[in-house]
Amino acid sequence: MAVEFKPRTLELDKGQWTLFPGLCKGCGLCIEKCPKKCIAWAKVLGIYGTPSVEANNDCIACGICQTVCPDCAINVIKNKAEGNSKSAIS
Amino acid sequence: MTVQPAMPKCWRPESKPHKFCPGCGHGLVLKALGEAIDELGIQDRVVFGCDIGCSLLAWDFFNVDSIQTHHGRTTPVMVGIKRANPDLICIAYMGDGGGYAIGSQHLVNSASRNEKITVLLALNTVYAMTGGQMAPTTMPDQKAETSPYGRDPEESGYPTQGPEMVAAIAREGSYVARGTTVNMRQLKSYIKKALENQMEGNGFSFVEALAGCPTNWRTNAEKTWNFLQKDMPKYFKVGELKDPGANEKEGQ
Repeated sequence: MAVEFKPRTLELDKGQWTLFPGLCKGCGLCIEKCPKKCIAWAKVLGIYGTPSVEANNDCIACGICQTVCPDCAINVIKNKAEGNSKSAIS
Repeated sequence: MTVQPAMPKCWRPESKPHKFCPGCGHGLVLKALGEAIDELGIQDRVVFGCDIGCSLLAWDFFNVDSIQTHHGRTTPVMVGIKRANPDLICIAYMGDGGGYAIGSQHLVNSASRNEKITVLLALNTVYAMTGGQMAPTTMPDQKAETSPYGRDPEESGYPTQGPEMVAAIAREGSYVARGTTVNMRQLKSYIKKALENQMEGNGFSFVEALAGCPTNWRTNAEKTWNFLQKDMPKYFKVGELKDPGANEKEGQ
């Protein structure tokens, strides 16, 4: 039986940033590790009733938050090259 | 199907969120282990043994054969399974209490016999499950539940250097390394090398991983990372201590 987790996806400029409130325990390790300091506490509650996290548009979709999350509650999908080339021209 | 968490395939999604505390290093160590198992494609051959202590909460963590043993006796149980069926890949998973306190005799003797198993040890400097008492690996001046004024090296000695101890007695062909959850890619490559070392039948493989314990250190996220990145490497140097692959390269 496949288990599905309810995603909360944020469509950001550089990528698709998804958090699973059903997995987030609110430890805050990702907030400290983010190189752009763009992750903050959210109004949405996590599995233990603690605040979950959300990213803002400063996110560069590097995926460090996904790597350091002990619960795999974050999934970052970087936008395809077209988005990057656009920003390179402008 | 909507976006789903990027979990290693050998994780068991039914048991998630896992039972560890928020911010626990076990989740990161087991994520690295899961990714290493996925990349090697050995999920059907792995036997995962967990110790008493916080590590026992991993008993339903993976979709692999798992066994939960007596405190400190994970290593001999895995040795027995490996001897009975050498095709299996045996991983003994334990904390520093199980590996260096009650189970140190088994760890040392298995290493000196060069048993072909992999031992993965999460080091968090305290006995976490019972409330953060002083462990053999507690660092000098670190405050724990039973050392409220900080550990005094005059009275209770210096922290146990596990990989150094194992590397000193292990035979040729063994793999010994110390990784950290701060550097997940490095930790994954160490665990992968340790598993490959066992699959090739070279000998004992031992990986220690520095892991955080925010609950018992009483730290927030910032202080947890600081402790892992700045304080722990003062006594626990990250790196490979014994690598049979490196010797071959030198000989060539």
